[in-house]
Amino acid sequence: MVEKNAPAVRLGRGFWIVTAVLAILAIASIVFWYVAPIYRWMHLPVAIATAKQVDQLSRFMLATGSALYIFVVGYIVYFAIAFRVRKSDPPDAIGIQIHDNHKLEFWWTVIPAAFVVLLSVLSIKIWYEITLAPSNGLVVEAIGHKWYYTFRYPQVNGEITNAMHLPIGVPVTLNLTSADVIHSFWVPAMRLKNDMVPGLVTQIHFTPTRIGTYQIICTQFCGIDHSLMHQQRFVIDSQANYQKWYHAWQVKNAKVSNALPSTSGASVNLAAGDVAAGKALFAQKCTACHAMAPFTTVKYGPGLLDVLHDPTHPNLVNGQPANPADAAAILEKGYTGTMGSMPNAVTNGLSSQDIANLVAYLNSMK
Amino acid sequence: MAIAAAPHGGGIADHIHPEPQSFVRRYVFSIDHKIIGIQYIITGFVFFVLAGLLAETIRIQLMHANGGFVSPQTYNEVYSIHGSTMVWLVVIPLLTGGFGNLVFPLQIGARDVAFPWLNMLSYWIFPIAGLMLFSSFLMGAPTAGWTEYPPISLEGQAGTSMWAAAIFLVGVSSTLTGINFVVTIMKMRAPGMTFTRMPLFCWGQFATAPLLMIATTALAAALAALFMERQFGVPFFDPTKGGSPVLWQHMFWFYSHPAVYIMILPAFGIVSEVLPTFSRKPIFGYKLIAFSSMAIALAGFMVWAHHMFTSGLAPYLQLPFMVITFVIAVPTGIKIFSWTATLWGGKIHYTTAMLFAMGFLVLFTLGGITGIFLAAIPFDLHLHGTYFVVAHFHYVLVGGSLMGIFSGMYYWFPKMSGRLLSEKLGKWHFWLFFIGFNGTFLPMHWLGLEGMPRWVSTYDPQFQFWNQFASISSFVMTAGILLFFANILYSIRFGKVAGANPWGARTLEWQIPSPPHYYNFKHIPTVYGLPYDFSQPLPYRGLEDELNDTPPPVAAGAH
Ligand code: HEC
Ligand SMILES: [Cu+2]
Ligand SMILES: [Cu+2]
Repeated sequence: MVEKNAPAVRLGRGFWIVTAVLAILAIASIVFWYVAPIYRWMHLPVAIATAKQVDQLSRFMLATGSALYIFVVGYIVYFAIAFRVRKSDPPDAIGIQIHDNHKLEFWWTVIPAAFVVLLSVLSIKIWYEITLAPSNGLVVEAIGHKWYYTFRYPQVNGEITNAMHLPIGVPVTLNLTSADVIHSFWVPAMRLKNDMVPGLVTQIHFTPTRIGTYQIICTQFCGIDHSLMHQQRFVIDSQANYQKWYHAWQVKNAKVSNALPSTSGASVNLAAGDVAAGKALFAQKCTACHAMAPFTTVKYGPGLLDVLHDPTHPNLVNGQPANPADAAAILEKGYTGTMGSMPNAVTNGLSSQDIANLVAYLNSMK
Repeated sequence: MAIAAAPHGGGIADHIHPEPQSFVRRYVFSIDHKIIGIQYIITGFVFFVLAGLLAETIRIQLMHANGGFVSPQTYNEVYSIHGSTMVWLVVIPLLTGGFGNLVFPLQIGARDVAFPWLNMLSYWIFPIAGLMLFSSFLMGAPTAGWTEYPPISLEGQAGTSMWAAAIFLVGVSSTLTGINFVVTIMKMRAPGMTFTRMPLFCWGQFATAPLLMIATTALAAALAALFMERQFGVPFFDPTKGGSPVLWQHMFWFYSHPAVYIMILPAFGIVSEVLPTFSRKPIFGYKLIAFSSMAIALAGFMVWAHHMFTSGLAPYLQLPFMVITFVIAVPTGIKIFSWTATLWGGKIHYTTAMLFAMGFLVLFTLGGITGIFLAAIPFDLHLHGTYFVVAHFHYVLVGGSLMGIFSGMYYWFPKMSGRLLSEKLGKWHFWLFFIGFNGTFLPMHWLGLEGMPRWVSTYDPQFQFWNQFASISSFVMTAGILLFFANILYSIRFGKVAGANPWGARTLEWQIPSPPHYYNFKHIPTVYGLPYDFSQPLPYRGLEDELNDTPPPVAAGAH
């Protein structure tokens, strides 16, 4: 509603002085967020390559956000003082009756819109590098439990229980899952986390760039001791130290069975698998989705002929090496990947003996 | 039922029943929107006190890195009920059932809402559901926070099912209110009250009501599923039985993101009334403010998964949720700039209502900005599930919604009661609350950035200093709130008599006596323009008799 004879709008000298002051403050705040060693103050080292980019994005948002905030609050305070009713005003004094100003409204729609585009571009770029950047390095698995983490490494039997070590400079794919409820895997020094969801394997990728010991923290409520689930460490080692640690675990776990604690509580004894029983069971429970044909013959899931002995597919779909233990793990916990969902043992109605039989059968197909 | 159309127009709005005489029909099972609004407000504030006590329990526990005030189990129960109560029994009912009922029918020149009996039902479900929620403490309250993610909530104590049932009922109440308000605004505006002449508070309610109607049904479905899974073992969410825990998150946030707009759009409406009144100036950019409320409500349905960036969504699915969330910053920015511009060139009267509205601007803007931060996936992957998030949503919910509620209380209390709240106590309330609030929640930003996770009853000692600082500040904030209640109790008996229009405000509710009589208007007025131009005469006709002793309208159609 624009009045024909709307009052003339004059911005006085005070307005421009305040604007200049706010501009200086805004610039100062932008400079502050870019140069101040805020991450040092917060004791947050940069442990992986992408953390630096997240910090850049954070600085950008903190800088632009506080500049905006300074202007909004600055004007509010200035108007609050400059346009207060004074003792000398008559009781029925009214303000300047303007209803709108299309030019102003145009600009304060368009400038934020442009900013949104810029922010989207920046965020998507960094998101891409965090989430999708391909990495064909080390594949490791972390499993959330109430209230600790365990880790599985290729060629290490069983689970590693105390800390997670990784070699510097090697790209890592970290598969995350949970043995019970939803947990989360957060390393503040990586500026990265992901939930550990039971029945689902999620992935994060990164490349360690700084030797050091960092905290792993759970950020999803997971029960009574959730508050204590921050005591395990995430260690980035030199190559040599990593190898030492890794071999120590290989030796230490050499006799540990690869059997996983199953959801039912019993554990899978792979040695007791029976090929014939497995074959019968396969026809009964698996052929709806799998053919006994090469990997590329997809029914719903991949073909499973020679799945454990196919040199062109050294890894299973979940990235774990194709060995009996990891096949058992897929049967036990299920796996959701690009093809669809492989149901877990409970859904498929498999006992641990069934799993052992099926794995023995799969292993016999060469 | 005969519809009596009085000669001065108004159609359905002029269907007049005689005023009930018994105490029970007048004040307990009332069908009068004003009484129901007041019932909502009183009940809402009772729950506010309870949830506030729980909040202080949290802050006392966190005074020490090792906790120790209550057991971890109790602590988890306390914050779960604190959050659930504040969202479902305080902020939503106060802003919709409370202020909505009380104010907007008066503002559009209606005699009541479209379905008064439904309105009574909506109200009465609410305290019952509230009692059910608190009764869950007796059987072991839920512990997984107000979001109750399965599978942990499937293992939760018996009270978790009670929680689900209680929230389901509140949802029913909200849905009914939503239907009632939409129909009322569509059908019962006074002659001449076109949509583009409607006060902005009504626009706030009009944007909120569809959210109440539509989004709440998703929540109801989720809660019903959770209840069935817990009680009868129907596997919706348990992954070991073929369910999906992420399904709950989708359903929950499909409701709970729109719910944050349910909790803020009416507060926007309150601020949009208070600012022009006390600046003695038209609201700046009326149409854009109204339009942006609708835009926010609509876009609010398309951003829910920004709460789920760490939940294992397919990667590309995350992007639209991020970008649309960013886009919501534009209409929100328009509002903030328009309110700021409303102050320019005004004659600003520093009433307590005005202080709270300006405090709203300052605090909500900060919460809005950190909301944009969290929408950026790379930033969220760092800060999801930390105290930064806690800081963010308390800035929008307390700094935004609750400041709006307080502003509305100081503004409309005289309309409810006929008496003014004490301005002196009010100013103390404001400053204690404002300072205490910032002291409590500002440090949580850096606590989160440094690595303090949410939902913890004990924490790393490095965070102790700022936690203590927050706890002590929260006592200051609580002191302010106590003054508010003291103010109400005092003013309701001894406050200055307000008269019809103590603020010199221009919307319809101020042109009739305080409190208004039973059927609001002796004659339904006719509306000729927007209310906000202070240089013009009031744009209403037909109000001449409202403030004199002519008899009230005859109870036509009595039966
Ligand atoms: C509902 C369909 C379905 C059923 C039934 C099913 N699977 Fe699967 N399975 C899948 C899908 C889909 C995948 C691949 C997941 C992906 O990567 O997307 C898979 C993957 C696998 C793999 C990993 C293959 C590889 O190359 O890494 C093995 C081993 C396997 N299933 C064995 C079995 C066995 C044994 C049974 C019978 C108990 C079975 N599956 C039943 C759907 C099914
Ligand atoms: Cu946890
Ligand atoms: Cu949201």
